[in-house]
Amino acid sequence: MKIKILVLTIFYLIGSFNLSYAANSEKVDQISKNLRCLICQGQSVYDSQSDFALSMKILIQNKIDEGKNDEQIYDFLKSKYGEWIVYDPEINKNTVLLWVLPLILFVFGGILILRKVSIK
Amino acid sequence: MLNQIGNYSLYIALLSSILIIIQSPILLNRNNINVSGRIFSLISIQSLMIIISFIALIIAFIISDFSNETVYTNSHTSKPLFYKISGTWGNHEGSLLLWLLVLSIFLLIFTITSKNLSNKYRILTLFFQEIIIAGFLLFILFTSNPFMGLFPIPNEGTGLNPILQDPALAIHPPILYLGYVGTSIIFSSSLAALISGSVNKTWAKHIKNWVLVSWIFLSIGILLGSIWAYYELGWGGFWFWDPVENVSLMPWFCLTALFHTILILEKREMFHSWAVILSITTFSLSMSGTFLVRSGILNSIHTFANDPSRGVFILCFLFILITLSIFIYFFYQNKIKNNFTKTYIVSKETAVLVNNLFMMFFLSVVLIGTVYPIFLEVVNNDKISVGPPFYHKLIVPFLIPFLIFMAIGPNLNWIKDKINKINLQQLLFFILSIIISFIFLKRVGISYLFSLPLFIASIFLFLITIKDFSVKKTNLSQKISHFGFSLFILSVLVNGVLAKEYSSNMKVGDERKFLNKTIKFESLKVNESKNYQSLEANFKISDKNNSINLKPEVRVYDQPQTITSEADIKSTLYSDNFLVFNILKNDGFYNVRYQIKPFMIWIWISIILISFGGILSIVKKNG
Repeated sequence: MKIKILVLTIFYLIGSFNLSYAANSEKVDQISKNLRCLICQGQSVYDSQSDFALSMKILIQNKIDEGKNDEQIYDFLKSKYGEWIVYDPEINKNTVLLWVLPLILFVFGGILILRKVSIK
Repeated sequence: MLNQIGNYSLYIALLSSILIIIQSPILLNRNNINVSGRIFSLISIQSLMIIISFIALIIAFIISDFSNETVYTNSHTSKPLFYKISGTWGNHEGSLLLWLLVLSIFLLIFTITSKNLSNKYRILTLFFQEIIIAGFLLFILFTSNPFMGLFPIPNEGTGLNPILQDPALAIHPPILYLGYVGTSIIFSSSLAALISGSVNKTWAKHIKNWVLVSWIFLSIGILLGSIWAYYELGWGGFWFWDPVENVSLMPWFCLTALFHTILILEKREMFHSWAVILSITTFSLSMSGTFLVRSGILNSIHTFANDPSRGVFILCFLFILITLSIFIYFFYQNKIKNNFTKTYIVSKETAVLVNNLFMMFFLSVVLIGTVYPIFLEVVNNDKISVGPPFYHKLIVPFLIPFLIFMAIGPNLNWIKDKINKINLQQLLFFILSIIISFIFLKRVGISYLFSLPLFIASIFLFLITIKDFSVKKTNLSQKISHFGFSLFILSVLVNGVLAKEYSSNMKVGDERKFLNKTIKFESLKVNESKNYQSLEANFKISDKNNSINLKPEVRVYDQPQTITSEADIKSTLYSDNFLVFNILKNDGFYNVRYQIKPFMIWIWISIILISFGGILSIVKKNG
């Protein structure tokens, strides 16, 4: 039960962090910051001034005007350009280790420490 | 001529390496022989040879000797002298020679400063260090020789990437390398201590300085790179979670953890194995960093020169070193004294363990985030990107407890402390931080659940670290570093929350309103410089009370032809005004990006404070 609550809180916190991360900036900026400029070296669409990035920003604006929400826009871009374009990899069978491995290591290390020290 | 000097001295250096490696096992069995005999002279010769070759390369760059291929591909006669010199290490071959130079000089310093330690330990350290040096010499001579000749001799070079022609970036690599290479001494000496059975107080005391030196240089190196990215790459950010940046951050986490562990080892004779493991890991991370950056398998803004075949060499070398150290560790680990004294949960020892746990977690996030995409691509050809959102999501939730532990930990006593000592004073500070955070977030209009605990934790740490200056128990250098860290976190947070940005396409004469300010594009002029032409814009930013002028540039370098945008930044103690502009295709219009970045300067100052704590600790001990 305790673990369940803990897991739920963590997910809730991560979720709300997403919200705060997205605060203050406009929609296009916010989305383009999470996209890789495919023709640049390690730049986001937001930071780049290349033709690709500029047309990308227009594309995102159009999608927003069409009334698409964030998720629909990301899905559209992913289906068009592949997972490579988003900086925020979704959790699926390919990336589950990426997300979970650091957490497992933390828990493992924590247990190790608790076993070494005496509580009293 | 210079090519020959450089080449031959490198071969002589390699020969000395081989001689030392062969001789060390023989000397090891004779206890009465002092290292400062033949081996010392060999090391001196080696360092001298490497210094000569490095100077030869610098001279080749200064006089633009285009019979040297490295000079030809990375320099140009029209380049200012300063950048001719810094061009020496602004390329792959030269930067490796710099690595080597630092390696050998550090070894020389080690030999001189370790005279009162056991002979066996010293010879073994030299032995391992020479293996690393020999590896680098082979690597340089056979895959990345900076002294390759060119015939016929070209009249003109092809120039240095203009983005690298910058004062911060000119000194950034040497500083960073001092940090990286310092970890090699830690690695060699920990293996030596392991074999000679001297992983103890004395070793901790001796190696602590090396840990600190590497850590200081690494911190400052990262700072310089970050400042450079801030004003040169033109995005107004200072950390992009770019693979090349991550690679320098990983050994930093490891060194920080190691330093705290070494303190415990020195004071309480505990955590011997852990200190050795961390020493090995730190160096492996520095080496893999070099591998990742140099092999070109990373997609990064900072990847300037790369070649996959070189990557294979470093990878093999790295593999050999790691295998060797793992083998030595398991073979000799029973030599480690295992006088594990009881540790109580509320004690300084536990606090350091918790620090290490968090450091290792941050390290694993960055490490996995950086290498996972590479593995995934190899395994099933899927390309994914791991960027800022990933790191933020995993690191930030753990930052909150980390900051609180960091506030409480240093005030705990050794061995055992009373739980009720987490006392009234701290509670008071905690309540105060809740109030401050609440009011602050209310005023700036951010009401998300997650930012509140983050602010509370960081303000709590900030207040506690200030209060700690009045406590006599802990030492000053620690207080400064910890205070610097709390200032760093707080500045980053405030900067992140309050930063404002405006972007628009403008032409000369245009005026735009942003918040309570007016941005006016006043004029544009063309300047001629020695090796570039620049388009200098003049923007006037004014509000009710005052106005400032910002003059960003777009530079067109001729050798090689590249366009760079130079941001203009006006810094005050409260905030930075950052403006950058770019040429657009439609005539007359320029893309203008104006940013207000509060407390930017405090991010830099806080990192200097963190490093200063380390410097103070070295000076105090030796002074």
